[in-house]
Amino acid sequence: MRARSKVHPWLMLGPSLLAWSLFVFVPLGLAAYNSLFSWDMLTEPVWVSGANYGAIAEGGELGRILGRTLFFSALVVAGSMALGLGLALLLDRPGRFFGFVRGAIFSAYVVSWVAVALLWVLLLDPDRGLAAAVLRALSLPRIGFLSDPAAALPTLAAVTVWKITGYAMVVFLAGLRAVPPSLHEAAALDGADALARFRYVTWPLLRPTAAFVATTSLIVSFQAFDVVRIMTQGGPARATTLFVYAIYEQIFMNLSVGRASALSVVYFVVLCVLAALQLGAWRSQRTTRGT
Amino acid sequence: MGGRVASHLVARRQVLAGLAATSLGAGCSRPVRDAKGRIRLRIWYTLGGRNRETFLEIVRRFQERNDDVSVEPVYQGDYFESLAKLRTAIAAKSAPALSHVVAEVVPYLARARTLTALDAYPGMREIPFVRGIGQEGAFRGGGDLPLYAVPLNRSTPLMYCNGELFAKAGLAPPRTWQEVVEHARALTRPGGERWGHEVPISWWFWVALVGQAGGSVFDEAGRPTLGGEAGVAALRLWQDMVHRERVMRPPPGRDYDAWNVTNQDFLGGRAAFIWTSTAYIRYLEDNARFPVVAAPLPKLARASVPTGGTFFVVVEQAPEAEKIAAARFLTFFCEPENATYLSMRTGYLPITEPAVAKMRADGFFAKHPNDDVAQAQLASVDAWPWEPMLFRIERDIVDPRLESAVLLDRDARAVLAEARALSERPG
Amino acid sequence: MKRGKGTWATVLAGVFAAIWVLPYAWMASTSLKPLREIADDPTAPLPRAPQLDAYREVFGQVPVGRYMLVSVAVAVAIGALQLLLALPAGYALAKLRFVGKRVAFALVVACLLVPPQVTFVSVFLMFAKVSLTNTFASLVVPFAASALGTFLVRQALLSVPDEIIEAARLDGASELTIIYRILAPLLRPTLVSVFLVSFVYHYSDYFWPLVMTTDDTVRTLPLGIALLKEPGSGVRWHVVMAGNVLLSLPVLVLFGIAQKHLVRGVGGGG
Repeated sequence: MRARSKVHPWLMLGPSLLAWSLFVFVPLGLAAYNSLFSWDMLTEPVWVSGANYGAIAEGGELGRILGRTLFFSALVVAGSMALGLGLALLLDRPGRFFGFVRGAIFSAYVVSWVAVALLWVLLLDPDRGLAAAVLRALSLPRIGFLSDPAAALPTLAAVTVWKITGYAMVVFLAGLRAVPPSLHEAAALDGADALARFRYVTWPLLRPTAAFVATTSLIVSFQAFDVVRIMTQGGPARATTLFVYAIYEQIFMNLSVGRASALSVVYFVVLCVLAALQLGAWRSQRTTRGT
Repeated sequence: MGGRVASHLVARRQVLAGLAATSLGAGCSRPVRDAKGRIRLRIWYTLGGRNRETFLEIVRRFQERNDDVSVEPVYQGDYFESLAKLRTAIAAKSAPALSHVVAEVVPYLARARTLTALDAYPGMREIPFVRGIGQEGAFRGGGDLPLYAVPLNRSTPLMYCNGELFAKAGLAPPRTWQEVVEHARALTRPGGERWGHEVPISWWFWVALVGQAGGSVFDEAGRPTLGGEAGVAALRLWQDMVHRERVMRPPPGRDYDAWNVTNQDFLGGRAAFIWTSTAYIRYLEDNARFPVVAAPLPKLARASVPTGGTFFVVVEQAPEAEKIAAARFLTFFCEPENATYLSMRTGYLPITEPAVAKMRADGFFAKHPNDDVAQAQLASVDAWPWEPMLFRIERDIVDPRLESAVLLDRDARAVLAEARALSERPG
Repeated sequence: MKRGKGTWATVLAGVFAAIWVLPYAWMASTSLKPLREIADDPTAPLPRAPQLDAYREVFGQVPVGRYMLVSVAVAVAIGALQLLLALPAGYALAKLRFVGKRVAFALVVACLLVPPQVTFVSVFLMFAKVSLTNTFASLVVPFAASALGTFLVRQALLSVPDEIIEAARLDGASELTIIYRILAPLLRPTLVSVFLVSFVYHYSDYFWPLVMTTDDTVRTLPLGIALLKEPGSGVRWHVVMAGNVLLSLPVLVLFGIAQKHLVRGVGGGG
């Protein structure tokens, strides 16, 4: 439809655009600008051009942060998608019991990270927690879930999966229900069993949904902060110092605005690249398959 | 029905505007006086449990006797979180007049000109602080500088031994590094059932070891040498005890989580002797089901302990009226009656000489031998350099490397050389 | 065979239900135990003698009511603002043809990619410059415009027939009237979902209030509860779990009532 006045669309978008400029685009630009200075907020900023980027890359620290975050994201995305899809398939049945189970799983997504993180710190206590009791019951060795540098990051990933799988499940359920039953019936008539029906009927139609879930899970997991702050504070031995936590550390613990900004810029660039790659991969797969 | 949604939105908008106006005001104007015309004295504190109760009782007493002041204490989490908030509040020009910060960060804040020199306020210069506890003994040259810091809860590392286990093994608390290793060996039970020794892998205790090995983290000129050979020896002691002797457990967790685990392991009989702060004397004595025997830290070349805990500081940018009120609170806090109250109830070291004398006269130290041990150890205190980079070197550079060096058994010399190189680089 | 599959599915569903429900039950159970019991017998599922001491302590230490009020106020204010701004923005993107529409659209997409963690440093400094850190405004205004909300509104409006708008225009209604008084009611399910999703997110938000507030003037409940985990002298788990229960209860209740809307909001609107 035509706008009644040329100005109208911009007036309507105006407040939103103003808010985004002020709180998204300008800060982004400021971050890039601040990354060229050394500043601790208490004294005057000092121009250092690229020194901050050098400092954060020093000794491979930036590489390690990136590696940890990518690994963490991979675990979370894979875990939540697989589990989300599986649960959607399993629980897409009528009845109050299944409705309750779906609700219980989704409720974890809705509850505060503070509650979830504190709760799991207690449950994962290596000597007195419920998880440890389960291990003992199964005669498995003691695991320092949050104190062993090798176990800490996968543990945080597992807790994150616990929290967000409900989201993936709900989205997949919506996708599953959008598949026309007539297609299933036709395939069944052709002699396809459940597995084949899934592969050839459901999955191709579910692809866009899966792409959506994968991308949003990636973005959410890349933003992980609360879980680190509350459960491990970046330790042990920096094993769980993920990107956003590293930015927080730089600004609030070391009060180094320059370095925090440099990290923020790198972080944003990486996230954009990843999101683009991810979407690109899904899209190209779909077109080559000819669906 | 259409009108209802729109009017709801409009109504919401009005409420929002109202809320925003009131709280914009709340953040922005920072009235110096409250509704009753009393001067608002904001105090940010980070004490928990019984320490908090004791502190708040002193606040209450002050409030009672000074009804022209309205004290507003706010709890801010642990030391490091609170420090972060204080620094950002200073940057946002909304810092409270009074808060307390870790000793090592005082030079940094002073150099950044964010602290008020308290000399000008009545009575401040005359307070007879215990040497080593007050600014004068805690920092090299601290007595020649303006008075920026007033001790609140000062402490030193202390060794705590499980009296029962030691008696059974026929051992006395170790007095040298050699004895530390030997006693730990004797008291360790395999399979993680009991460790001989446990200590949070932290700068503070490492600095103590460096001093004991005859070194110093900063040289006379204020350069961060990180103890040189002594530093390496200190780190290696821990590494050997953890990985080769297997008599020491490095407690998991960051910062105070690790300290907490150390305490709990000691109380649960899973660690025979630990190093932690004098601040926990009362807590450990009260919660242990065995006699707790405190002992001074061992020597190698000499005895040495750093000081820790926090100092009160008054920020420069606060309103003058609030700062005056803060100084009054501080003088009140340091009066013998309150200083002894704090120390006896919490186990923190008494901060003024009259307080020590009073406690001794009252027979407190006779009844509490562990506190007496802590007092006596003050003779071995090594002062911090008045060095703005001290805190950053500790938190940013050395602490994480100590942790990884001990947990992953990295080469001590290389790790410290790396840390030294980073420390020598400016800002 | 179908029935067999049914029970197999039920059993499996039961296992997963346990994985997701047990932790809450544990939380509630721990909050009712005295501290000694937690230390002595940590894996006992039920308290021997349930008591409310932990809750008393939470209420004593933390101004729960005040923090909760702030959290709710912040979440409601953000939700309301977002609806207010998303409606016209979504309308413009869905219904109007204008020069620069693609650019506007691209900007909205770009916003989706920028997380608060990238912007918080600069936003904090901006607020500091005008002395507005640690205020209600600093918690609300940065979220006034929601890219996701704008998208969902736009999507919902796409399926509204143009005729309605044309008829209203012929009647002489202003664009504002059309947006807020005619279209908004039609979009009620979407708007409710957008509001609820936003409310739940911002009520539970830990990060933004953590970095924007410096004392407890506008402290939110998640921050207050997180502070219960005190350093040094032994975590008082029963108190922490009691705090958790108090924190989670409003959201879980809301979830129970409005699950359908939340699900729809999350699953992609409309």
